[in-house]
Amino acid sequence: MHALTADQIRTQCTLGDDARKWTGVLRTVGFAMLATAFFLGYREGDHYAKFQSAYLVGFMFFLTMHLGSLFFLAVNHLVGTKWNITVRRLAELMAGNFPLLAVLFLPILIPVLMDNHALYEWMSPDMQANDHLVHLKSPFLNKSFFVVRAVIYFGVWIMLARFYLGNSRAQDLSGDPALTVKMRKLSAPFVILFALTTTFAAFDFEMSLEPHWFSTIFGVYVFAGSALSFFAILTLIALFMQERGRLTDVITKEHYHDLGKWIFAFTFFWGYIAFSQYMLIWYADLPEETFWYLKRQAEPWNMVGSFLLFGHFVIPFGGIMSRQMKRNKATLAFWAAYVLLIHYADHYWIIKPTHNEGTLGFSFLDVACVLGIGGLLAGSYIARARGGLLSPIRDPFWEESLRFKNI
Amino acid sequence: MAHDHAEAEAKNYDELKLAGYLAEFDNVDDLVHACEKVRDAGYTKWDAHSPFPVHGIDDAMGIKMTILPWIVLGGGLTGLATAILMQWWMNAVDYPFLISGKPYWSIPASVPIYFELTVLLSAITTFVSVLALNWLPAFYHPLFRSERFKRATNDRFFIAIDDADPLFHKKRTKELLESLSKEPIEDVMDHVTRPPFPKEIIYTAVIAACATFIPLAIAARARYSTSTEPRIHLIWDMDYQPKYKTQRETHFFEDRRATRPQVKNTVATTDSVEMDQILFDTGRDPATGKPVTKVPVPTTELAALMARGQDRFQIFCTPCHGVAGDANGTVSNRAAALMTVGKATWVKKTYHDDAIRVQPVGEIFETITKGKATMPAYKGQIPARDRWAIAMYVKALQESQWSDKP
Repeated sequence: MHALTADQIRTQCTLGDDARKWTGVLRTVGFAMLATAFFLGYREGDHYAKFQSAYLVGFMFFLTMHLGSLFFLAVNHLVGTKWNITVRRLAELMAGNFPLLAVLFLPILIPVLMDNHALYEWMSPDMQANDHLVHLKSPFLNKSFFVVRAVIYFGVWIMLARFYLGNSRAQDLSGDPALTVKMRKLSAPFVILFALTTTFAAFDFEMSLEPHWFSTIFGVYVFAGSALSFFAILTLIALFMQERGRLTDVITKEHYHDLGKWIFAFTFFWGYIAFSQYMLIWYADLPEETFWYLKRQAEPWNMVGSFLLFGHFVIPFGGIMSRQMKRNKATLAFWAAYVLLIHYADHYWIIKPTHNEGTLGFSFLDVACVLGIGGLLAGSYIARARGGLLSPIRDPFWEESLRFKNI
Repeated sequence: MAHDHAEAEAKNYDELKLAGYLAEFDNVDDLVHACEKVRDAGYTKWDAHSPFPVHGIDDAMGIKMTILPWIVLGGGLTGLATAILMQWWMNAVDYPFLISGKPYWSIPASVPIYFELTVLLSAITTFVSVLALNWLPAFYHPLFRSERFKRATNDRFFIAIDDADPLFHKKRTKELLESLSKEPIEDVMDHVTRPPFPKEIIYTAVIAACATFIPLAIAARARYSTSTEPRIHLIWDMDYQPKYKTQRETHFFEDRRATRPQVKNTVATTDSVEMDQILFDTGRDPATGKPVTKVPVPTTELAALMARGQDRFQIFCTPCHGVAGDANGTVSNRAAALMTVGKATWVKKTYHDDAIRVQPVGEIFETITKGKATMPAYKGQIPARDRWAIAMYVKALQESQWSDKP
């Protein structure tokens, strides 16, 4: 295995022609599903209220996952990690989806610009003028500033993504170690930028759905799920590539073991943060904070809440703890897929109760939104992957990363 | 004769025998490579030494997976179980204490304790188990006799094969190591008879272990015995101060009174304060000493004061006295409920008792100011004017329930 020739490595790190077919299929499915979702939303005749909340759940599900890739890149460059280098390109390609994510944000942004308040009720002039709390918050929570902030978030994310993917691909050609130094240096300010944009995006896109409610830890909560779902999807992408005969000798059991450790760590981190948020609100018992949970503890949302407590924390915590679970491809694939499913449930539970008291309101519309957004993102992912190598093989530490072993 | 015998024994300790071989390497790759060879040769009683952890060395040495995780899991679960038991026993059984209306043994409030104790016991178990599994701390090892081996914590890597290994052979083992290392192979020598463990250390350890029981014994004795002596006051803080308290004796003055009487031809400072202010602060007329029946506030301000009284009353008084002053507040109800299971003594005091509703407003003001029975004083929390407002509102509540009044 160590005696890989340069040609073998190149072959393993390049997608074949069959990938072109995949791109086409995924993009077609994506467009068809989004059109279906839009049509279903139109048929509701509720000014797209139902469509918007279903779309937001799907969008946040994928946005958070992609934010995890920025976190992964910035933090690993910052601390000079070496084990992750063979899988790093898969994350960089994911970050490359941010321009498309910005386009996919339009179905949220356009209704806002058209004064449709079905999703963000605080934008209605009535609430801005007559609701005392919203009125006090209006210097921050107003339409124009909301739009400006959204532009800033996506601008920062696209900039970060271009930076990491661009420099890494430049290194594929030049093999210049100075690029590694540059990425490490700039990762320090970028981690701060990432933290701020992610936190405020969580406040804007999800917390402001209930404009009276506030929780300063909410950004961390969303980040915890975002990193968790990212490591799950990265594991699945790596497994998928190996299934298609790529990266077979480039990603080893040791790398999967470490990805599994990240999934395990963020499973616990999510539980820790989710509980921290809950306990403080429960203990202080202030009406302007508790109502958010009370709404989610009422039938039928309490079922989703308990499902998250056990499904998002207790079960995977016990399940992924063992070393064998992380080193076995089949079990790791199961837990990664499971984590993605539960991550969707998490955002469903955050967003949907706002407009669906007393009903789960799950329908094909929600499924279509996920398949639509996911199809388009996966399609461009593969298209982008075809445009270059699947692993940064000229990174100065690439071979060290390949030889990496867990203690 | 005895002297000779001791000397002979001492000599015996200097006699050395071969205890194994030590091979030196100057880089980590050679070490890992050599480990693989030694492993493949089938040796079992040997070890590799490095100044830092080496990734992949476990595989290279053929070391099987440690059982440490299972021990730590046991430690963590013990911590969790201890924490659950502790929280339940202390909060719900031994010393039930109502905190902001939460259940005595509530899960969310206990989770941080569960978490911390789980982590704590896991960490301690890990620490102790790692030492125990590695037979540490060790006071002696033949390798410590080697000068070269001292660099194992600095910049050199070593493989040591023990002569207790079933495959150990003076010639073949040495040849194997020579084929792997560029440096000469060192014979590790050990005493034929090791000197016994110093008795002084054993005695000191036993005495120290016994001594730790002394404070425990003293504490246990104090716990189960009575004494006429005051308790030992180790830390004085500000409990004893060089000052006189009211009505104490002093030898400084001729009359031996620490509290000084008023000096002749002087006026007490309180006399200079206006009578109205005293009345306003105490609720009693300074002239008669009786509680006043009228609120000492101009009539034009009474309406505003009543509204203020209702507001303050609902904040400070309703938790116990209830909205209507009928002692149906949450705290009062809870205490009454506890009394039915024998955990509290409680008397519900309603404002609408005959004894209380005849009280003048000044007396109610005084009760708020100074407190009464289980009710604490509110002088520190509520300004005087607000206390008057509440007292007036209480009178109004009483009037509202006094149906037999014409």
